[in-house]
Amino acid sequence: MTPEWVLPAFDAHAALVAPWTEHRDTFGWVGVMGFCVAAACGLLGNYLLLRRMALMGDAVSHSVLPGLVIAFLVSGGRGTGPMFAGALVAGLVATLIIDLLQSRTPLKQDAAIGIVFSTLFAIGVVLAVAFAGQIDLDPDCVLNGELLFVALEPSVAVGSLTLAPPAVIRMASVLALVIAVIVVGYRALLVSSFDPGIARSAGVHVRGVRLGLMLLLSLVVVSAFEAVGAVLVVAMLILPGATATLITERLPRMHGIAVVHAGASVWLGVGLAVWLDCSLAPAIVVAGAALFVAAWLMGPRGGLLIQLWERNRVQS
Amino acid sequence: MTSLGSVPSVLLGVLLMVVAGGSSLRADAVVRVVATTSLVADLVREIGGTRVSVKSLMGPGVDPHSYQPTPSDLRALQDADVVAFHGLHLEGRMENVLQRLRSRRAQVVAITSDLPVTRLRRVGEGEGAYDPHVWFEVGLWRECISTVVAALVRADPAGTETYQARGEALRARLVALDEWVRRELAVIPKERRVLVTSHDAFGYFGRAYDFEVIGLQGISTVGEAALSAMTELTQLLARRRIPAIFVESSVSPKAIQRVAADAGVRVGGELYSDSLGAPGLAADGTDPSTYEGMVRHNVRTLVSALR
Repeated sequence: MTPEWVLPAFDAHAALVAPWTEHRDTFGWVGVMGFCVAAACGLLGNYLLLRRMALMGDAVSHSVLPGLVIAFLVSGGRGTGPMFAGALVAGLVATLIIDLLQSRTPLKQDAAIGIVFSTLFAIGVVLAVAFAGQIDLDPDCVLNGELLFVALEPSVAVGSLTLAPPAVIRMASVLALVIAVIVVGYRALLVSSFDPGIARSAGVHVRGVRLGLMLLLSLVVVSAFEAVGAVLVVAMLILPGATATLITERLPRMHGIAVVHAGASVWLGVGLAVWLDCSLAPAIVVAGAALFVAAWLMGPRGGLLIQLWERNRVQS
Repeated sequence: MTSLGSVPSVLLGVLLMVVAGGSSLRADAVVRVVATTSLVADLVREIGGTRVSVKSLMGPGVDPHSYQPTPSDLRALQDADVVAFHGLHLEGRMENVLQRLRSRRAQVVAITSDLPVTRLRRVGEGEGAYDPHVWFEVGLWRECISTVVAALVRADPAGTETYQARGEALRARLVALDEWVRRELAVIPKERRVLVTSHDAFGYFGRAYDFEVIGLQGISTVGEAALSAMTELTQLLARRRIPAIFVESSVSPKAIQRVAADAGVRVGGELYSDSLGAPGLAADGTDPSTYEGMVRHNVRTLVSALR
């Protein structure tokens, strides 16, 4: 007996082509939204990786809880605006305290991150239980707007011109901001990421660059939350840059690869979600991780196949 | 040989039933309805009969708080003629998304939207902070029938007579069910009318049928049960000599089992709370995949454990 019910049959057209052709009204904006999230996270993630700050995104995403609770108590509701502002401020405060701890105490960054995000999370839980009573303030519940539901949002229209759903416009703006910051601040970001000493002697305000980067990170993480939730946003920050690192060491190429990785993750992720009929954000992360594994196997920098080949060549 | 051969066919039968329970939309039906929870789906099915095909987004045993949509859910929502959800914040943020579907051609209805505020249980502060678990008061669930009938009539005026007749029939059945519940529960003495479960789902039940209800967690199922709540509950069970406490089908039973062990009381059985059961008969002969079967199952479980 063939276990047909374990995996549905894979229909390449239905999974990989149809979402973007005949089912475009379902997946079109979902795909654009997913790409904006993944690309913004991936571009910014390159710098996090270069600076060995990969888990900073995790820190921000777990630090937002007290911000959510305070925003709830102040505004008296769960409106998106106050919640977004509260999360953003909390994420910023977290990065500032981490920065303070690592620059003014003997603590290294990993310890600073560990202290700050877990403490802020704990403060959030205490506040929620003490003041908000039984109210439901799980960050995933409050901020997780669910990627697929973007398709159900009506598009904003200006005059006779129909634009995009508001969530897509918001996320596209964030992506545009990330690209603008990278284009404008490219040299300062590059030098201070690779060698803070040289950067300082070249007159770059290294701490200012770092704080600016953290500000941008908070904005990206909290915006991405709305689409993919608190845990998966960390994968979106790290996977594209990690994949790029296995292919190139030049920053412009890393940016290019991160964007390609974002697009391919969304394309394959939607395919996976359609094939298995599962939720989309985890499927995109799984697809992104598969691309990372492919780069690990076949990448020119430390790829397993390359290593194998070189070892054989040395032996023969 | 026959016994060996029957195993795969039984498995196949179970599988088919599961597939049928997952019920995708049928193309030949008149009205395509997407319902959020299995309870809402059941109500719409009872009223719509064969004129509707109902897809339930959250299957049996799914906690509405942890629901994640799939691509086929999304397609169903986009193609639906009627989208029926529970309301009163049961679906959380998803309600906002569903409300936005109104701008498309679908009828979007919160089945609790016509319940008078005076009959709802207030929980916490803030506007609209009401306990969503209205289905445990059969008389209140009955009030949701007219809302569903009206929505189906708007989507399919040709079926008006069918919907009204079936709605009336269901109303009569729920009147009888309510009486049955009161009759059955009457055997439980006053001092043992205490219902201890995982989360605060049974407030309406307690109010309607004169039970004191104690939930280990709050209204939401998300948080962990606080340690202090578990200790307090253990002491209370010993003090009041309560013979049994209950686990819920869509909430992890761990905390309740722990309290039961600490306090030396029985776990009286599994109650259906936020969703209906899988199709098929329970040991007590009820079918918890329907609303009426679920109510009967819960009441029988309570009576056998507390009488």
